[in-house]
Amino acid sequence: MFSDIRYRIRALFRRDLMETELAEEIRLHVEREVEESVRRGVGPDEARRLARLALGGQEQVKEECRDARGVALIRMLIQDLRYAARLLRKSPGYSGAAILTLALCIGSTTAIFTIINSFLLRPLPVYQPDRLVGIRELRVDRPIPFLDPYAWEQIRNRPNLFESVCGWTQTRFNIAERGQADNVEGLGVSGEFFETLGVPAMLGRMFTRADDRKGGGPDGPVAVISHGFWQRRFGGAGNVIGRTVSLDRTSYIIVGVAPPRFFGAEVGRSFDVAVPIAVTGTASWLYVTARLRPDQTPESATAALRAAQPQIREAALPKAVAAGATANLYLSQPLSATPAATGQATGSTPLRDRFERPLWAMLLLAILVVLIACANVANLVLARAVARRHELSVRRALGASGSRLACQVLAESLLLSVIGASLGLVMAGVFSEVLVGMVSSATSPIFLDLSLDWRVLGFTAAISVGTALLFGLIPALRAARVQPQAALREGGRSQASAKRVGVNHALIVAEVSLSLILVVAAGLFVQTFTGMATTVGFDQGRTLILRLNANDAKVPPAARPALYERVRQAVATVPGVSDAVTLRTVPVSSDHWVANVMVSGYPPPAAAEAPTFLNAVGPGYFAVFGTPILEGRGFAAEDRSGTPLVAVVNETFARRHVGDRSPIGETLTFGETGTYSPPFRIVGLAKDSGSAIYFGLREGIPSTVYLSIGQMNPEIANFAPPAAFRVAVRFAASSPAALARAAAVAVNRIAPDMRVDAKSMASYVRDNIATERLTAMLSGLFGALSLLLAAVGVYGVVAYAVMQRRSEIGIRLALGASPAEVIRMLLIRTARVVGVGLAIGGAISFWTSRFVAALLFGLEPRDPATFASAAVVLAAVGLLAGWLPARQAARIDPVSTLRTE
Amino acid sequence: MRLDLPQGTLDLLILRTLALEPQHGWALSNRIRQLSSEAVLIQQGTLYPALHRLERRGMIRSRWGPSDNNRRARYYELTKKGFRQLEHEVANWQQLATVVAQVLNTV
Repeated sequence: MFSDIRYRIRALFRRDLMETELAEEIRLHVEREVEESVRRGVGPDEARRLARLALGGQEQVKEECRDARGVALIRMLIQDLRYAARLLRKSPGYSGAAILTLALCIGSTTAIFTIINSFLLRPLPVYQPDRLVGIRELRVDRPIPFLDPYAWEQIRNRPNLFESVCGWTQTRFNIAERGQADNVEGLGVSGEFFETLGVPAMLGRMFTRADDRKGGGPDGPVAVISHGFWQRRFGGAGNVIGRTVSLDRTSYIIVGVAPPRFFGAEVGRSFDVAVPIAVTGTASWLYVTARLRPDQTPESATAALRAAQPQIREAALPKAVAAGATANLYLSQPLSATPAATGQATGSTPLRDRFERPLWAMLLLAILVVLIACANVANLVLARAVARRHELSVRRALGASGSRLACQVLAESLLLSVIGASLGLVMAGVFSEVLVGMVSSATSPIFLDLSLDWRVLGFTAAISVGTALLFGLIPALRAARVQPQAALREGGRSQASAKRVGVNHALIVAEVSLSLILVVAAGLFVQTFTGMATTVGFDQGRTLILRLNANDAKVPPAARPALYERVRQAVATVPGVSDAVTLRTVPVSSDHWVANVMVSGYPPPAAAEAPTFLNAVGPGYFAVFGTPILEGRGFAAEDRSGTPLVAVVNETFARRHVGDRSPIGETLTFGETGTYSPPFRIVGLAKDSGSAIYFGLREGIPSTVYLSIGQMNPEIANFAPPAAFRVAVRFAASSPAALARAAAVAVNRIAPDMRVDAKSMASYVRDNIATERLTAMLSGLFGALSLLLAAVGVYGVVAYAVMQRRSEIGIRLALGASPAEVIRMLLIRTARVVGVGLAIGGAISFWTSRFVAALLFGLEPRDPATFASAAVVLAAVGLLAGWLPARQAARIDPVSTLRTE
Repeated sequence: MRLDLPQGTLDLLILRTLALEPQHGWALSNRIRQLSSEAVLIQQGTLYPALHRLERRGMIRSRWGPSDNNRRARYYELTKKGFRQLEHEVANWQQLATVVAQVLNTV
């Protein structure tokens, strides 16, 4: 086997040497044969004749020897590729257009696949990732990917369940001491984290269980930093071990640096600093990742976990119930181990769940664009094949077989697509970075390792071969059928063949129909995006959110509302600020406060109904957040501690709790089972507005209760003022960044140690609709690209037809046809073909659009207006592309065409 | 009378002849002719492709050396694999010949 391959490689690369050797061998044979005959008394001439006769045709023998080397096919391919390269170099315009089209389309497809690969397919860069599982709790309605710390403690205390197990959370640390915030991405991890994942330290050491104690282990509070953070903040300094980093005003000693490619246990996020979880205080929940023993499967691990679950839950129950869990639910919800080789999902709406469907949908659209590009390139290749008809038929006459000619034409297509794909691969690297940058933001960064791997290369290779076959097969088959006498018969004169026209029209139909699908998709996704962006319903661009923490000023809980107000007043004095209001929770931030709410005298809503969202806000909130008060009043400065408790509810709340009656004057209480707040009197009815949405904008406006933040009091059940609070600033002039700086200075004047974390309301909205922005921009781009390609395709075909029918048109003009009639003649034909394409594309879109229904918002997947306008746009573009060459045709000088006849 | 070679037997004859001593192409064709008492007709043209094929399959290897009248000639010789293959094919052939003869005699 090995010698065989060595021989073939030699045959391929030492071809010249082997050729001379072969020639010499044959020559020696003939000479010896002649000598032998002469020795037997035959005349020299006759001897040579006999020798040649005995051997047979020398060239034929050589050819058979070459075949015997087993590389004939490869050799032929190389020959064909060389020939193709020469042809492509000879017409750079044609090759350039084809290669650029392919590169652009293959590049964008590969870019999306690169993201899909990094996001969904690639295993974590850790030791044996396929032995990792995430522990989930299967709740009645859905699985949740995290556990409470008490259950985690119990799992950790049972070392026989897995080879090892670790718990972790994601957090964000502010490393600024005061003034404007400087946030870094953090991980709180249990001592076993790095060991369980199998990630060794690049410098220093990783954590041990000894580090994971309240107040720190033997070395005190310690931190492991990521490779990227080490490079960015410490310039990659070798002496970083032992230096300290201040996180939320606690000082940590850096003991280790993680290896370059390690980003944590979730794909899509990355960390700067990891600290032991016990040092930061107890988390209320955490993700649990386990490494299976080599003999375990996720199923057997789940079985083991379920067997141990009763003891785990019983042991954890007292603390869990004390923390608010419902006992019988807590005991019954089963645990399960899910494979986590490609990373673990986190949060209530994991990144993967948000992006998976949109990404696959975009990949599909990109492939449609590639198909259109194929149709375009096929058109080009066909046109060239016609130009080369003469050459091909001469080759045929000289003895080339039909399959040989087909191979040659196919080799040319393959060369085009391979060059296009290689260029596309380079573009894909840039495109994918840009795409990730589009959905990422400073406040919710998305990190993906977008390096190439065999999956991406394989995908691109498959696409490039696939496209070559798609656009090269018809021209190749056509070349195979060229008749040797064709060159003689046609005498070099060009003739329009009916078949060729048929193929051209089929290609245009394909292009127009695919294009329509893409334009419809673009219309649907762009409208979804704009619909969601406007749902919020207030001026996001001119609103800045300052995130603050009362603990920075070290005031007792009872004094917090007063601090809120002092900070608000300080911010309000900053030049350029028109309004400043305090609030507990920022709309669309995913931060939220929910509770069960009851209106006295009315039956409580069914348990299955979604809970009511609460927010505590200051005076002026309703104006800043575009929420008109329909009845009663909003909050005033007088609604502060000590005055009667008041509430404002929105329309949805009123509908749900009091039906058609006015809610004004009713009283409500809120809380969890057992602990309810004192009654609050409803003083106002607010309009349903987008600012009442805290999670996804597509989820609709929930039932909402607004409370006065000034009345918050630690004495009142469920109504203690939180340490973390926000000030929303509406500003007229100046940039958000300048305003954030000025606000930080103003806040520090009254509270010198306070840190101010500013984020514009627009970026909250941006983060919330990141997937919609991605799909809108990509589908818009693909739609535009497909329009352009379709236009070029139609133009090319009509222009070609004009060229073919030049003399016919000349004669028509000479016989008195008006230019307008010529244009009409050509356009009617184009219109008919485009019309067929539109009908087919419309039907396909109509049928397939329901598959993207889940990605849409505010309109039906079969939105008639979108379909109609897409068809109109495409028809206009098609006719314009046909009209340009038709106008040229009408200007043909009849005399000059007659002269060439 | 001259016999046409059944399919595949040329390789066997080449291997058997080369087993005696390394040969170059022309000498090899002569040798086969002599050994078969001139009864086998080898198309000389088929010899070289067969040699190249056998070399690719690692049955024989070639090297350049001086020929009997001091010209450069390409000598072919059997490899270990070639000897094994020869043994195997000879056994096969003899078995086949016996069986064929047996069938022909009984019917």
